[in-house]
Amino acid sequence: MNDIITPIIMGIMLGGLYALIALGLSLLFGVMRLINLAHGDFVVLGSYLAYGIATYLGLDPILSLIIIVPVMFGLGFLIQKYIMSRAFAVSSDTPLIIAFGISLIIQNANQIAWTPLSRGLNTGYSHASFFLGSLQFPVIYLLDLIAGIVVMLLLREFLTRTYLGRAITAASQDKRAAELMGINAKRVYGYAFAIAMAFAGIGGVFLGMTFPFTPTSGISFLTIAFGTVIIGGLGSMWGTFLGGIILGLVQTLGGYFFGPASQMLIVYVIVLVILAIRPQGLFGR
Amino acid sequence: MISKIKNDFLIPATLVFIILALLPLIGAPRSWVLYVFLFFIYLAMANMWNLLAGYSGLISLCQPAFLGLAGYTMAIGTWVGVPWWIGIIGGAIIAALFALLISGAVFRLSGIYFAIGTLVVPEAIRMVFYLWKPVGGAMHGAGAGYMIKGIEGVSQHAIFWLAAVVGIGSVYLMRFIIKSKLGLGLASIRDNQRTAASIGVNVFRVKLYTFLISAFVTGVAGAIYYLNQGYIEPSATFNVRWTMVMLLATVIGGIRTEQGPIIGTIIVVILYFALARYAGYSFLIQGIILIVIMLLSPQGIMGIIKRLFSRKGVKN
Repeated sequence: MNDIITPIIMGIMLGGLYALIALGLSLLFGVMRLINLAHGDFVVLGSYLAYGIATYLGLDPILSLIIIVPVMFGLGFLIQKYIMSRAFAVSSDTPLIIAFGISLIIQNANQIAWTPLSRGLNTGYSHASFFLGSLQFPVIYLLDLIAGIVVMLLLREFLTRTYLGRAITAASQDKRAAELMGINAKRVYGYAFAIAMAFAGIGGVFLGMTFPFTPTSGISFLTIAFGTVIIGGLGSMWGTFLGGIILGLVQTLGGYFFGPASQMLIVYVIVLVILAIRPQGLFGR
Repeated sequence: MISKIKNDFLIPATLVFIILALLPLIGAPRSWVLYVFLFFIYLAMANMWNLLAGYSGLISLCQPAFLGLAGYTMAIGTWVGVPWWIGIIGGAIIAALFALLISGAVFRLSGIYFAIGTLVVPEAIRMVFYLWKPVGGAMHGAGAGYMIKGIEGVSQHAIFWLAAVVGIGSVYLMRFIIKSKLGLGLASIRDNQRTAASIGVNVFRVKLYTFLISAFVTGVAGAIYYLNQGYIEPSATFNVRWTMVMLLATVIGGIRTEQGPIIGTIIVVILYFALARYAGYSFLIQGIILIVIMLLSPQGIMGIIKRLFSRKGVKN
């Protein structure tokens, strides 16, 4: 009995991480109707930046967020300003194809910089664990859950309390009406992309502490993020959180019942099945 | 002027293709023959991607699944005594059946959802082939690789000509589809899906047919590619690299044009030839080319040519 409780609690904690990875994707889709195919690679880029900072500066991955968040934010703003904004003007398929191109560029750049070997972010507390009753859990998983909740609450406060946040919400609800109200949609899009990328960076740091990663990991993280968004339905933050937890449970329970080698396969299949049955999401309308 | 080019390009293109196909007979260097072989394989695949993305509005990112399934069917077939040439056809049929199987799921998705739904498919299949070894046998490369058995007697020239037939055939197939009722349906959907549906075009069926055709032909080309390679393994097969080849060839040449994939594939093969030494940077370079072309000339080289001709037309 205790056997199965462990993967359940692990799955719930993983859910925080998955929600964190999915937030950026969800935000971009909400604001620009763009499913950013490069999102998974942005996440991996965050992991590698933390790895590089830890290797060369010896900084703890969580502390390295001080550098990673602004770097990713700036990069996101530039990508939107110089590439994506033009892509939207060409045709509705263009942003998709360009995101595919960006995804491969980042993959290749990571490979050149860090070799195709599998890496991980190791810290003093990497192997530390805590106890719930008699069950033992890795501290990292708890950090994942906390990070997910904290970032989500921050995003909610930002979207409801600041001018920029409200402008982003307005533009995502009705772009034309927002523009009529004097909102500069171009700037809003730039910031939305930048924020999404900063979130991907944060997600990447925590992901890198939890799982090993390679330059081609992006696609599995994209699938997880996309699955989370799909399950939770768009626009609902708690839906995203719930989606993350469901996918986390799918992964840990899949590993428990079918062996760790097939746990990602089970996640993929579940995402495809949900897409087939309810493309609007389990909790979407 | 433009319509004249459109009508005429098939004949000179076929002549060039036939000259290319004769290369092995005149003792051309092996590497040349290999690049021309790749050209024919990529051409068939690019044409099929153009059929989906350009003419049907389906940005399919699951083509590696089709070519890989066909390749694996043929490879595994040779282990249980199925001749390779039946394996190629059988593999293509499996690929088309698989397309039919997933069409129920992915066709409920439109636009971006379709793209991402199809992106996941090759990833999932790759894992299946890592975990699943249908018949025992020698491992080759990473994971569950298979040698293709019993092809020692098949001459390299025969495989090359097989590729040539498929490559040239794909160009004629595109012409045939575009001129057919199916092509008419596609054109009406492209112009306005709702209007098309309201005048009696079965949008789902038209898109499904193109999806199945594309899976079948991509499967044939993939199986021939692996016949030439002599072995197959999951990580290079169900790989986004293939998608990049088709996408780049179509986009460079001009998406939604008949000539685009031909021009694009020539350039992509030359690019591979020129960049062979920088293989480690290949995605980086291709990605940059893809983005630049999409932003500067979304209709690729054919777009530029058409613009030049239409300008002349105005002057005259």
